[in-house]
Amino acid sequence: MPTLTIDNLEVTVPEGTNVLEAARALDIVIPHFCYHEALGAVGACRLCAMRISDGKVSGIQMACMVKARDGMVVSTLDPEAVELRGHVIEWLMTNHPHDCPVCDEGGECQLQEMTIAGGHGNRRYTGKKRTYDNQDLGPYIAHEMNRCIACYRCVRTYRDYCGGLDFGVFGSRDRVYFGRVRDGQLESPFSGNLVDVCPTGVFTDKTFRFRSRPWDLQEAPSICPLCSLGCATVPGARFREVQRVRAGINREVNGFFICDRGRFGNGATNDPQRPRRPRVDGAQVAMETAIDTLRERVAAVIAKYGPQSVALLGSPRASLEANTLLHDWARDLGTTRLVFDAHAEQDRAARITEAHLEHQARSLNDIRHSDLVVLVGTDPLSEGPMLALAVRQAVRAGGGVVVIGPKPIDLPCRCSHLPVSADQLDDALRCLAGGSADALAAELRDALKELRDRLAAAQRPVMAGGPELLGSRGVNTLFETVEALSTAERPMGAMLLLNGPNSYGGAMLAGRGPNFDMLLDGIDEGRIHALICLETDPCRDARNPARARTALDRLELLVTLDALPTHAALNADIFLPTSTWVESDGAFVNNEGRLQAFARVMEPGLPLRATSPDSYPPREFFLETPGSEPWPAWRILARLLGRSEELSVLRREIADADPRFAPLADLAPDAPGIRLTTTPGLPHYQLDRETPG
Amino acid sequence: MNLWRDIKGTLQAYAVTFSYLFRKPTTIQYPEERRTPAPRYRARMVLTRDPDGGERCVACHLCSAACPVDCISMQAAEAPDGRRYAAWFRINFARCIFCGLCAEACPTLAIQMSPEYEICKRDPLSLVYEKEDLLIGDGGKDNDYNFYRHAGIGVVNPRGGNADEYGPVDPGALVP
Repeated sequence: MPTLTIDNLEVTVPEGTNVLEAARALDIVIPHFCYHEALGAVGACRLCAMRISDGKVSGIQMACMVKARDGMVVSTLDPEAVELRGHVIEWLMTNHPHDCPVCDEGGECQLQEMTIAGGHGNRRYTGKKRTYDNQDLGPYIAHEMNRCIACYRCVRTYRDYCGGLDFGVFGSRDRVYFGRVRDGQLESPFSGNLVDVCPTGVFTDKTFRFRSRPWDLQEAPSICPLCSLGCATVPGARFREVQRVRAGINREVNGFFICDRGRFGNGATNDPQRPRRPRVDGAQVAMETAIDTLRERVAAVIAKYGPQSVALLGSPRASLEANTLLHDWARDLGTTRLVFDAHAEQDRAARITEAHLEHQARSLNDIRHSDLVVLVGTDPLSEGPMLALAVRQAVRAGGGVVVIGPKPIDLPCRCSHLPVSADQLDDALRCLAGGSADALAAELRDALKELRDRLAAAQRPVMAGGPELLGSRGVNTLFETVEALSTAERPMGAMLLLNGPNSYGGAMLAGRGPNFDMLLDGIDEGRIHALICLETDPCRDARNPARARTALDRLELLVTLDALPTHAALNADIFLPTSTWVESDGAFVNNEGRLQAFARVMEPGLPLRATSPDSYPPREFFLETPGSEPWPAWRILARLLGRSEELSVLRREIADADPRFAPLADLAPDAPGIRLTTTPGLPHYQLDRETPG
Repeated sequence: MNLWRDIKGTLQAYAVTFSYLFRKPTTIQYPEERRTPAPRYRARMVLTRDPDGGERCVACHLCSAACPVDCISMQAAEAPDGRRYAAWFRINFARCIFCGLCAEACPTLAIQMSPEYEICKRDPLSLVYEKEDLLIGDGGKDNDYNFYRHAGIGVVNPRGGNADEYGPVDPGALVP
């Protein structure tokens, strides 16, 4: 632990830290381009120059290339270092075009900031500027090579960190070119990160092209709702529409990057077809009226058939607050027919995960530092792309990856593949745990035995699986296998890719309740007459969508709270529009049990582009924003239950009522999140022990 | 003596006022009479055109960022030739304080202050000017400047075709 002095301030940093990082620990900003926490230091931009007096490496040095040593004395304000940095900026600017007004990076451009910081204002160089031809990199990334300052961050991100192969650096001397061999869409599913890492405007978001300046955007720390990993994102909205999403920083989960699905897959909020008006029997009404009608209708069904005739369906898409209020409502109504995932098998897998994960839980950061990752029956690039990226980091650090599954999967890294058919995954896991496995081929048994030895030798092994192929039985076996392969001094970790951003939270609330297939039985047999769907469409999300569709037609009362134009929303007797995750505050519990909050980015409203198709905003004034009817789902339920509509109060109440959710009371967005622990004494869910509906 | 001084002070003021009765008045009978302000007078802003007749405004949002009363809003768009322009540009002159910061911030000389200072309407909405109301036919105080001839990203000239640029490099070239 060396202790060094930077600008007369002493700091003690871990062994191996470079001077730039040590200065950051003191909140001293040293200008830099090529250094990036996730990509490391390469000393290419020569901008982090500073004077080191005393010691072996004295003189003007690059801060990112010098390891902090005990007794080092560093000056970032040394006149010679400041002058050198000013010259470096001036050199970088000799070829940079004069196009900041038409560049999308303007306003969040590191080169702009460093040019100002370096004091460079007047162009003294009278020579001509170098130019390049651009490439068409597909519909997501715009390319403008003239702006390049050759910091190599893009290649280091795309090739080294994300494992893309179709992008690179070409040419020699001052002709270096960052692009593809020929025009074409970037193939990596992480290509959008080029936009975030490029310190200037070479790579910009094409979907956001010329839409807004960063200072005009409404931004807030958020959580990606598109898979169960819970990556940090920062959506940006203007004129009542989500215009872009950029990566947030959560060192425990996604690190600094996100996948392209999370970045470019956020059109639902802006959809002009989105149902935004509350409806009762097809007629548009005010939200308060709809809530009152809902209360009356449910009471009428209960009066007619008894409380158990009402079923409630939560969702992995809905926030923890909304799901908890749904849970409380079911308790108030006196019905036990409450489910939190329309897909019975995914629901079961989530509940098993919730019950078993506890000490086996591993974050994406743990996977990045794992030395052997076993992927069982999962395709991370489709179920949770950032897992694939985390696995790649494990491989880059010298770890190994073994894929067990029916067919080889695409991974951005080298991996070995054990072909096991979907129905034999369970046996293969048992065999791996040391059980007998006569059904398996001898070849496979040998390979699994070898893998067992490798796992025994590994220091930080993790096994990751996906319920879609494993099924709930397979998920259970995976946990047993991990338990069997763990020892006290070297525990093994597990990670399950669940159905949605809040699957884990729903599972915590579900307990031993029925599953949705049981509810469908109940509807078919005439025991259930009313169904309340919270941000889910059983006709799409259920294990058997066709069966759900016929069952829904049998209902006497179908209530849907949702933000999407789904079948259940359009055919509901009572429809209550909810706001999407960018339009409300809330919390999700990700697949490792990490409770994370997301903050509201904007108020709900019909995008200006939808209200004014000719692109001129209206000249009249309205007191009410068009399309602003949706409420957050938790607020609708709070109004219905007569609870507080203040989120902080609501969170405090939830935290007080259930000790498992205690961290919810003081939860802040833009934080690494808190991994929930299951309180001993509360009933754990057990496989095949669902109470029939 | 104090009394004398007071009487003198009172009468002197009347004498000054009286003498002004026989001079030509400085005030004019506005609005019947109007002054022509100097060409450099800075009243309401206009949007100018480049020498080729194209709109100079590239909708960079710097004027709206600089505006202390937030009276400018716009939306940028892209023309087929890659030119960035304002799909709409709106200024609320009911709110404008004529400070001129927008013209100072404008990097393309599009916004210039004009001598038109008479903005007074009964309907506040008619003080909301759109791009069409603001555009004038020429380059205002500088008729020669064309931003895209200096920007260095093509659009008006082919890439690398401006006077201060080399043609596009061939990254495949092996010459040292």
